[in-house]
Amino acid sequence: MKMHRRAFTLVTLVAVAAAALISASTSGASRHVGASGSITVWVDAVRLPVAKLYAKTHPNVHVNIVTFDGDGNGATTMQTKIQLWNRTGHGWPDVIFSEQANDPVWMAQKPFDFALNLNGVFPKNLLKGWPSPSLAQCTVNGQLVCLQDNLAQEVLYVNKKLMTQFGYTVPKTWQQWAAIGQKVAADHPGYIIGNIGDSYGAWLYLWADKCPISQVVAPNTVRINSTDSHCTRMANLLDPLIKSGVVPPESVFTADFATKWGGDNDKILMMPGPVWYAKDIFSGTLHVPAGELTAATPLRWNDEPLVTGQVGGGPWIVSKHSKNVAAAIDFVKYATTSLAVKSKVDALSPGYPSYGPDASVWLTSLDKDPYFAAPEGPAFKAAANLIWKGWSMVTYPDQPVWSNTVVTQLVAGKTLSSLLSAFGDGLAQNAQAAGYKVVRK
Amino acid sequence: MASSVLTSEYAGATRKRGPRALQGLPFVLPYLPLLIVFGIAPTIYALDLAFTDVGGGWVGFHNFVRTYDDFRFIPAFKHVLAYTSVWLGALMVFVVGLALLLHGRANRVSATFRFLFYMPGALAGSAAVLVWLFMLDPSVSPGSFLLHHVLGADIFAQSIAPGNLPFIFAMIAFWTGAGGWIVVMYGALNTIPHDLEEAARIDGAGPIAIALRLKLPLIRKWIAYMVILSFATGTQLFVEPQIVQTASFGLVPDTWSANQLAYQLAFRYADFNGAAAIAVDLLVIGLAAAVLIVTRGGLFRAED
Repeated sequence: MKMHRRAFTLVTLVAVAAAALISASTSGASRHVGASGSITVWVDAVRLPVAKLYAKTHPNVHVNIVTFDGDGNGATTMQTKIQLWNRTGHGWPDVIFSEQANDPVWMAQKPFDFALNLNGVFPKNLLKGWPSPSLAQCTVNGQLVCLQDNLAQEVLYVNKKLMTQFGYTVPKTWQQWAAIGQKVAADHPGYIIGNIGDSYGAWLYLWADKCPISQVVAPNTVRINSTDSHCTRMANLLDPLIKSGVVPPESVFTADFATKWGGDNDKILMMPGPVWYAKDIFSGTLHVPAGELTAATPLRWNDEPLVTGQVGGGPWIVSKHSKNVAAAIDFVKYATTSLAVKSKVDALSPGYPSYGPDASVWLTSLDKDPYFAAPEGPAFKAAANLIWKGWSMVTYPDQPVWSNTVVTQLVAGKTLSSLLSAFGDGLAQNAQAAGYKVVRK
Repeated sequence: MASSVLTSEYAGATRKRGPRALQGLPFVLPYLPLLIVFGIAPTIYALDLAFTDVGGGWVGFHNFVRTYDDFRFIPAFKHVLAYTSVWLGALMVFVVGLALLLHGRANRVSATFRFLFYMPGALAGSAAVLVWLFMLDPSVSPGSFLLHHVLGADIFAQSIAPGNLPFIFAMIAFWTGAGGWIVVMYGALNTIPHDLEEAARIDGAGPIAIALRLKLPLIRKWIAYMVILSFATGTQLFVEPQIVQTASFGLVPDTWSANQLAYQLAFRYADFNGAAAIAVDLLVIGLAAAVLIVTRGGLFRAED
């Protein structure tokens, strides 16, 4: 009898204690709305520090981090991976970062059907912080399928020290820029005013001049007119510059580029480039000495309205198949809006944050950074709203077509004007293979 | 046939041992399930996929016609043809030549060189390509002098210019693959009875005459074997262009070779039927080459 009573008391005590503990933890969880459990995130090398920082500051969440090529330069890694996961029925990561702004377009559609609709899941008050063109770029069939990590508007980088030394004024138009190029070729050979060998060369020069080679004009129909006057006039402007060597067909990411024009040689006079070049590329990759560079507003064509191009601005995508949407959203929220990530110009945030409030803090840090000769913030901010809207995101990458039809031939000595037609053909073939109807006019 | 006469004689002489053919069975049996699961079954599956559509319905040669019309098909097969010609030519000439050279040398020197030739083959294919990425970039390569004068290349993009690619990939594949075949050829040369060599030397034949007129014809069958296997491997080129494509930021297209195109069709466009059609194309080409070499080279003809 005594035994039973003692056992009974013990059991009751344990039960009560357990109930108290459980209720405490659940009410604690609802108080914090804390993320927990585990998620898998796929990031590129540049976003790896952000993922690691999240894992460190959120011990309740077990984060499996996988690095991949980020679909950089038009690679189709994610397409092959998602196909495989769909086919086997498991393996999807919870969050993916892609370097390709195009990726969410096909990720949101069949047969991939991967991206989660963030409307209703991502905190609405935070969404207001994104510029509307950025949200528009991430909207496919009415659904918000991604969030841009950083904006990537193109500006004109200028080496203030060299410009002053040579006595040139900062150009405002493409024509003035080309004229300086002619002078540089004659008076200061070896110096460059830009480059055209990167896989996104078309975005820097053709997008910035409204060349209609990626323009969705109707559902599943894309205009690819590479012989439009906007394209041919830019090619005509560039040809003599490419020939004389002031706009070489080489990529900033090659060792050769850094050796020839960066570092001690310090031969980059000007360079059209996206805002994420700021410190990451010029200081980190090319080792241009401090105190020389600044940014100017992008170039305009004569006196036409000012537009500029865009180079990337990678999106974060959350998986539809995620078993831990709360933690996935928490991760994306941290990566895009947390000041721990976005407040300084450093490895955690090399590019201009898309989230407006963070962008202001980042720009302040940028303007104070002693690496630059003059604040780059004003030019960056001005260019953010100038991206030409006539270039649409499509389901196929155009970078590989530019690389292997245009850049290889520029390296062999051909002119850009002679290659525009073949470039357009290559784009059209890829568009058709991806299921688009193509309009060539 | 001579061999069956021998078999019956042996069978008569040693009743306990049983037919000679069955003695090889325990060596072959462990490989058989692997052959079926990873070789024969996928081939049959691919044949099935190549003639059906997504739903499984029969479509005859539609997939073959459709993939033939793809804008990347003909360039891919042209590239593969160029690459295979260069590679097979290099293999036949250099492998056989080097093996013959080694065979004439003293044993220790020969063994050292066989080892040195074989070493690159120990690297996995992708690791070999990474080594070559450094060799081909004039700004970091120890052989930049050669790159400049032979390929006319001052930058990496020039080294991998479209016209150079078949030669570049053939060089990479040769560097990894040749060593193994040199060892095989050397083994083949060891099967030649010494008496024949002695007889030839007594007759006054110099080392070159012995190599070309005595040894070479006697290892004809091993050369044919090497050509059949290398032809199949060559037409199925994948690793080298795939890695150089990523490393060059897209200067080399991701459908340079036929196998890469099959891979893209399968895993990017989810078009497994098209991919299977290309796989069957490659299979037919490989089989045709094998049949040609076997019948012309008399590979399975018994010694006469």
